[in-house]
Amino acid sequence: MWDPVSFLALPALACAALVAIHAYFGLHVLRRNVVFVDLALAQVAALGATVAFLVGHAPQGAAAHAYAAGFTLAAAALLASSRSWSARVPQEAQIGVIYVVAAAAALLIVDRAPQGAEHIRQILTGNILTVGWDELRWAIALYAIVGAVYPVLARRLDPASWRSDFAFYAAFGLVVTSSVALAGVLLVFAFLIVPAAIGVLHADTFRRQLVIAWIAGTATSLVGLAISYAADLSTGATLVCAYGVALMIAGLVRALRGAARARLAAAGRGARLLLAGLLAVSGLWIVASPAADQPVLDAIERVVPSARSLYIDDTALATANEARQYAARYRSEAEALRKRESESRWNGSPIPDEEVRRIASFLKSYNEMIRGEEFVVREVRNRARAAHRFALGAAFLLAAALLSWPRLYASRT
Amino acid sequence: MVASTAELESLVLAVGGDGIAASHLIPAGQDGETFQPRAQDVARISEANVVVRVGVDYDLWLDALLRQSGNAAVERGGPGYVDASTYVALLDVRAGGVGPGDGHAHGRGNPHYWLDPANAEMITGAILEALARVDPAHAKRYEANRTRFLGELEAKVREWTRLLEHAPPLMAYHDTWPYLARRFRLRFVGIVETRPGVAASPAHLAQLVAAGKEAGVKAIVREPWEPARDADFIAQRCGATVVVLASGVGAVPQARDYVSLIDYDVQALARVGSR
Repeated sequence: MWDPVSFLALPALACAALVAIHAYFGLHVLRRNVVFVDLALAQVAALGATVAFLVGHAPQGAAAHAYAAGFTLAAAALLASSRSWSARVPQEAQIGVIYVVAAAAALLIVDRAPQGAEHIRQILTGNILTVGWDELRWAIALYAIVGAVYPVLARRLDPASWRSDFAFYAAFGLVVTSSVALAGVLLVFAFLIVPAAIGVLHADTFRRQLVIAWIAGTATSLVGLAISYAADLSTGATLVCAYGVALMIAGLVRALRGAARARLAAAGRGARLLLAGLLAVSGLWIVASPAADQPVLDAIERVVPSARSLYIDDTALATANEARQYAARYRSEAEALRKRESESRWNGSPIPDEEVRRIASFLKSYNEMIRGEEFVVREVRNRARAAHRFALGAAFLLAAALLSWPRLYASRT
Repeated sequence: MVASTAELESLVLAVGGDGIAASHLIPAGQDGETFQPRAQDVARISEANVVVRVGVDYDLWLDALLRQSGNAAVERGGPGYVDASTYVALLDVRAGGVGPGDGHAHGRGNPHYWLDPANAEMITGAILEALARVDPAHAKRYEANRTRFLGELEAKVREWTRLLEHAPPLMAYHDTWPYLARRFRLRFVGIVETRPGVAASPAHLAQLVAAGKEAGVKAIVREPWEPARDADFIAQRCGATVVVLASGVGAVPQARDYVSLIDYDVQALARVGSR
């Protein structure tokens, strides 16, 4: 059986390895202020692989990897040599130009080489969930070598020299090319920037920043993987969002550090006023336009469905419930019909074309009927909201007032 | 004549014969659902007498091109406008908000209908109508071309059906194959990418692996541009192999025209079955 642990072990290991190397480079990237350099280098590597295909090499073979690496090194040389301009044109602008030109050039090449588009995609759209041990093994070996050699090399080179820049972009380019193929561009960007940013927020020396980045990055990955399994969500996208939240939390913790008590009270007051403002605006919005989207009221009803009965009377509620039941019934009938047709493709007696056409038009009618029922539900709700708009608005404003002036109901806070 | 895909172009040529010039807009071997028209495409359409489209929301970008070209003959409703899906019995028409795991984002039906060789009859029928409208002098010849082509195709379909008689259960990366499946009685146990462009969740992958093992899936089908990694992952765990199929002419070098396209796919699947 597929327990989560055996399923997510390899992705977790991959995350740990990727965080280990990217947090290190991320700190450098933040210092150099070149945050999008990974996207540009990955795109250049994809261009290299496409060119390899165009001149007749097998995709994903040694020659394709050599082309990708060669193009990446050339881009590294370009970035290093153009540093002298950066007083006039920021390095970030040069990186952006390299990115768009590499992406566009790859498109043009694909136009010339049928069956070429796939190679760009295979390089840029890794998926951390389905990473294989074979690839991961090579990637870990590469990260270990780069992680061991580059810091030693960097210490020997004059940081203001052309060579130092080239070493950085070349080492980073090799890492990014392999990691983007494993995890995809979005996730690699998150691995690169977020742990490093958390480290910089919470420490001053490079060593401490790196340790914090490693711990925060790995922990966030594990939490993200667990959420993606439990909530049945796409793993890469869940991880990227988890990193976004982690950075927010890290920022909050940083803001609250130090004189904790006073700041905490201030933050509490701020949050309370924010909530009061939200409720007040919602109250006015209901009065002004009761049939429009009411996100706050909708959210309350989703959490406490019985809140509806406060302003919708029993007959209208019954109408809406009936419509909901009909919609559910139509949905299950349509699903059964669809299932019968798709089963018949391989099992039992085949359904002739005429019957398939009839099924299609039945499904379309079901679709219309479901929409009709959903319209009824919405209409009942909107009418009730319109009828009680002033009462609803007043309730929201009262709640807002109570939140903003706690002394109205408490002697002291 | 301009067709939106190379496979439709091939069918246009089968009906039109040597007397007509045809081209296609989506470069061979590219995913038609992510196509972006080029500057010369407008010129191609403004010079065309007949435009053949896939329809079923597959080539929505064509509407803007037709408007831009200002060629009234090929605009919607014009004598040279052909929606090849007109007479086809569409599969997987959506009935609002059905649960997860149902494959395609196309509410109007799955657009990959040309992969059922029996649908070539409907597609070439629509093409023939337009050709006869635009060029009535040669209508007889077009009709003869079509009849000959369909006759040859029918013989092929018999051969293909025999080859795929004992095809094993399959799984697909994207829901491209329902028409092929229906014609040759293939069983697709599951679809990896249930929402276009959204990678599968861990739970969905786990469920696919379990279903694949239980059904004895022998091959995971993907197109050349679909991620190799995900297909390999499931194949490894189900004890299946990965088979790269072409959904369009030019997606693999062997698929030179409509017949060799279907032939390539059938042969590839038959090899899995004989293993």
